[in-house]
Amino acid sequence: MKTPRSPVVQLHEIHKVYDLGEAQFEALRGISLEILEGEMVALMGPSGSGKTTLMQIIGILDQPSSGRYVLRGQDVTELSENERAEVRNQEIGFVFQAFHLLPRMSVLENVEVPMTYAGFSAAQQRERALGVLSRVGLSGKERNLPSQLSGGQKQRVAIARALAMRPALLLADEPTGNLDSKTSTEIMGLFQELNDEGTTVIIVTHEPDIAEYTERIVRIRDGRLESDQPNPNRKRVTGEVYR
Amino acid sequence: MNPARELPQTAPVQPRSRLGGLNPLRTVSIAWRAILANPLRSALTTLGIIIGVASVIALTAIGTGSTANITKSLQSLGTNLLTVSSETNTRGGPGGLVRQGGPQNITLKDAEAIRALGTEVVGIAPTLQRNAQVKYEANNTSAAIVGTWPDYASVRNAQPEFGSFFTEADNAGRKRVAVIGYQVAQDLFGSSQAALGQRMRIAGVSFTVVGVLPDKGNSGFATPNYNVLIPLSTYIQRLGRADSSGVVKVSAVFVQAADKSQLDDLKNRITDLLATRHKKTDPNDYDFSVQNQADALASVNQVTQTLTLFLGGIAAISLLVGGIGIMNIMLVSVTERTKEIGIRKALGAKPRDILMQFLVEAFVLSVGGGILGILAGFGLAYLAGPALKITPVITGGPILLAFVFAAAVGIFFGLYPALRASRLDPVESLRYE
Repeated sequence: MKTPRSPVVQLHEIHKVYDLGEAQFEALRGISLEILEGEMVALMGPSGSGKTTLMQIIGILDQPSSGRYVLRGQDVTELSENERAEVRNQEIGFVFQAFHLLPRMSVLENVEVPMTYAGFSAAQQRERALGVLSRVGLSGKERNLPSQLSGGQKQRVAIARALAMRPALLLADEPTGNLDSKTSTEIMGLFQELNDEGTTVIIVTHEPDIAEYTERIVRIRDGRLESDQPNPNRKRVTGEVYR
Repeated sequence: MNPARELPQTAPVQPRSRLGGLNPLRTVSIAWRAILANPLRSALTTLGIIIGVASVIALTAIGTGSTANITKSLQSLGTNLLTVSSETNTRGGPGGLVRQGGPQNITLKDAEAIRALGTEVVGIAPTLQRNAQVKYEANNTSAAIVGTWPDYASVRNAQPEFGSFFTEADNAGRKRVAVIGYQVAQDLFGSSQAALGQRMRIAGVSFTVVGVLPDKGNSGFATPNYNVLIPLSTYIQRLGRADSSGVVKVSAVFVQAADKSQLDDLKNRITDLLATRHKKTDPNDYDFSVQNQADALASVNQVTQTLTLFLGGIAAISLLVGGIGIMNIMLVSVTERTKEIGIRKALGAKPRDILMQFLVEAFVLSVGGGILGILAGFGLAYLAGPALKITPVITGGPILLAFVFAAAVGIFFGLYPALRASRLDPVESLRYE
């Protein structure tokens, strides 16, 4: 077991209300949650439970209506748009269900995108991008376009891109939703490896099979925390998947 | 319960200074690739700017060229020149019928009186003119036959290239000699040298060619290349018709002053002289006019400059329309790439990063169009020039102006779409399909 560990994500009484004109919809009704450094957590819930909203708030794509959010010791609840962009860039690595790669850019350039916004030099970008691509087992594919890759490979590019800035948190939204079961297992194995190396990982999913690969399962229902339990029967993907 | 108690002490986020920011070369390369992703659309968008810049350059080049042309051809017709010509008297004169060649109120006697004015008049050449067929063997051509005095050579800058001008003695003796224009020599004899000494017929009367004028160019107006110059007295005897009273009337009298500074004074003296001779007291009643060549030059220049400005202005409007085209396509592009914008924002792009990306794209489109437009403008000017018999004059001013204007149009019309892109909400943009 890894040695604990300071909190990465601290949510306190997070509410999110959407104003739908005539009516108001309360997507989150007071969520308090703490995720520690080095944890691998599944965020589960049926559709409409508010898990996507929660993911967006944790990823600083969206802001809570009330409550406080402290990310690695920084209160990020009320930041300006520019500051939020900076925190996203430095602290959060996103992995999306639909990969969200930029279609006209090569694999290498896709991985370099967050580093260009951080102001890295071209040489630094190149060096790090090659490093993370080799880490996810895509050495030799640097010059390919995303359209020339399989689904699993695309997702590994996305993971490499998420890792490039060495973020505090890897935030994966249904990362296996567009993949077959064998590839899904491989991707979850990669997440486990990265987690073993110390990366904090949050997997948002509605699939119990996927949640089984994590060490802690947080369930959301109707905008409230339903349960928050360790997963003693955690499944391990054995063997090194990509190296 | 007090929420603050459960939370650790937090430090405010220090805005990180970004030394590098977005590499400009990289930004341009990204923009370039986005442009190439839709080559046809980008080309059509740029076309507005290309046409705008090209027409500004081509039109001003042709305008400036024609100004230079007219100036040159006016100057080639003599310097320090006053032209005395008949003026339609609005109050008097027979109404109704339009007489061919207009009224002729200046007489040969008037010209002789002007010659007697003094030493300021260094040359004087009254002219009578009509068009006639000129024949040599089987060749014939139509020419402007000008009867005049020998001073014409210096006054109107008409020194023969081959042979010599006719003399005072030729005029006094009513000799049938002619100095012919370059094109007349070409048409009748094949070359200027071959024409010398040959006998040709003007309206059936035989004349000897004693001189051939140099090529004055076919451009501009009133080209002397189709002139045939003969002694005035010969003209009157052979080609002209005297008034029933025996008074000889002339089309115009060209007077050359010794110096430019004397032109105004001389003009006034000639005016007074003719007013007295024609018994006119009211300037509105004058049946003649005395024009300074510099005045004519200035007014022609003013007209062509106004025209050039006008054409340039129309072209500038087309640039503006091109800019609207860029704005239109950039708005479409922003909508199409909403998802890309969302992804970039999720990866840490700030609003200004997105703003720059789209602004640079519009800028590259307009500047690229500007460069292509300059090339097209050069091509157009040099293609259209010969057709219009004008040598285009391309100066740096319009090029710079058109280019800077195109770039400014790109920034101006790119700004709104870019601002819209930069303000997109990341959550909604990511959801966009």
